[in-house]
Amino acid sequence: MNASNTPTAANVLSLNNIEVVYDHVSLAIKGVSIDVPEGGMVALLGANGAGKSTTLKSISGLLVAERGEVRRGELQFMGRSISALSPQQRVKLGIVHVLEGRRVFEHLTPDENLVAASAVRSGHDMSRNKERVYSYFPRLHERRAVAAGYLSGGEQQMLAIGRALMTQPKLLMLDEPSLGLAPFLVAEIFQIISRINREEGLSVLLVEQNAVAALEIVSHGYLIESGRIVMHDTAEALKRNPDIQEFYLGGAKGKSFHDIKHYSRRKRWLT
Amino acid sequence: MDWSLLAESAVNGGLVGLMYSLVAMGIVLIYKSSSVPNLAQGSMTMLSAYVVLAFANNAKVPLWLAILLAIVTMFGAGMAIERVALRRLAGRPIIMILMMTLGLEILLRAGSMTIWGGTARPMPLGISDDPLFLSPLLINRTYAVGAAVAVVMFGLLMLFFRTRLGVVLRAISDDYTAAWSIGISVERGVALSWAMSAVVATIAGILWASVQGVDQSLAQLLLKGVTVAVLGGMDSIGGALLAGVLLGLVEGVAGSFLDPLLGGASRDLVDAAMLILTIMLRPHGLYGRHDIERI
Repeated sequence: MNASNTPTAANVLSLNNIEVVYDHVSLAIKGVSIDVPEGGMVALLGANGAGKSTTLKSISGLLVAERGEVRRGELQFMGRSISALSPQQRVKLGIVHVLEGRRVFEHLTPDENLVAASAVRSGHDMSRNKERVYSYFPRLHERRAVAAGYLSGGEQQMLAIGRALMTQPKLLMLDEPSLGLAPFLVAEIFQIISRINREEGLSVLLVEQNAVAALEIVSHGYLIESGRIVMHDTAEALKRNPDIQEFYLGGAKGKSFHDIKHYSRRKRWLT
Repeated sequence: MDWSLLAESAVNGGLVGLMYSLVAMGIVLIYKSSSVPNLAQGSMTMLSAYVVLAFANNAKVPLWLAILLAIVTMFGAGMAIERVALRRLAGRPIIMILMMTLGLEILLRAGSMTIWGGTARPMPLGISDDPLFLSPLLINRTYAVGAAVAVVMFGLLMLFFRTRLGVVLRAISDDYTAAWSIGISVERGVALSWAMSAVVATIAGILWASVQGVDQSLAQLLLKGVTVAVLGGMDSIGGALLAGVLLGLVEGVAGSFLDPLLGGASRDLVDAAMLILTIMLRPHGLYGRHDIERI
């Protein structure tokens, strides 16, 4: 179930046995190892509170904002250790984190949101990146002068992704981009993400509860439960896996929530 | 009822009010970027006036150069205050941060008393004491200059907030974590807003010093600044400008009625009433930012 955890040149990102604690005491993830191949798309799946967001924050460095820290393990980006770097240094290197809940700058226009996201890039890069973002998301261009707080949920998600693209990332990390969006919007946004991945070779780490949608566009997936990786396989294999089908793809016909809880508990003891 | 006297108090009041806005703008700049209500803004204003005099009288440089040097010095002082005193408190309860700014205000006031003593000194800006004659009205020249400078500062700040750096500061004031996530250095942005606030305080300090001389009473401008900032909505530069005019007007007009009845404290009573009523009736002030709710 665990593929190779050793960082290789072909991996843009590799996490090796990461352990994160909040407030020096509470253990949020324990021994998480994840590899994202260069130009690949990988999903991190799991239920609420399993440690998905914490994993992303350990990579982007945003744990500091919540009194969290990586206590153990190795974080490598393009073959270099990034554990000691500040969030902005990581953005400069090419890691960008699209936060859960979109978090656009509500009182700024979409255009200003994109400008703000160019803090680590030159003015020349900014205008080029803006054009690129507007070509992926023409709707943002139409709405570029409205306060972002008044955009629809889908438009805000597009803005959040567009804003991340302004930093010229090599690795795009998305935290629950489908949250609260209508299915057709989820499909549209996922399509654009895989288009960017195809056309620009941008590596993607996608965190999702919506496993059905996620497994359609990624090549590999990891399943996280109670802060541990409990399964890792290709998207095809994961879709066929009976446990995944039962508990994450909505195939749990006739099973109650209690059974799912029980399943989680059993898994915890087994790992 | 003497109408021309009333008009005169109104106009002069409005001009003084714009000078209050200068103090309030400094408070707003810091509040916007970091949600810290800076109670040391008054004593930063006072300190800057002493710094100008230190350059002009002790280092014997010409006044314009002393002002320039004071602006640079205060820019650095603002950054230093943020770096040394405030940054370590990020994420701590707001009451601790508030008490820290109160501590700074006492420190600056007491420190200036120790170094420069408590005797008022003149700030020789060279603005004539003769009033401006505007048909029937007599206008105080210093107030007129101060008001003009306040309007210019407002314009400069508006322009600044449209630049790339200004947009970044506004982004920080919207969402810290999101700003971090796209590589903005929130710490540096907050430090810059303190530095800018200290520069605005310097401008205010020089102008107010030429009105009332340089001594510790300059620090009491905090009360005017806070009242105007709250009335304007705490995070709106434009609101601070408008609220300043409003407070100055009301103060001037009410003062000319009430002073003969109540004595000199009537202006402070008006301030207190404005502050308390704003908080009770309109906590977002005139132009305070509401959270955007989509319908």
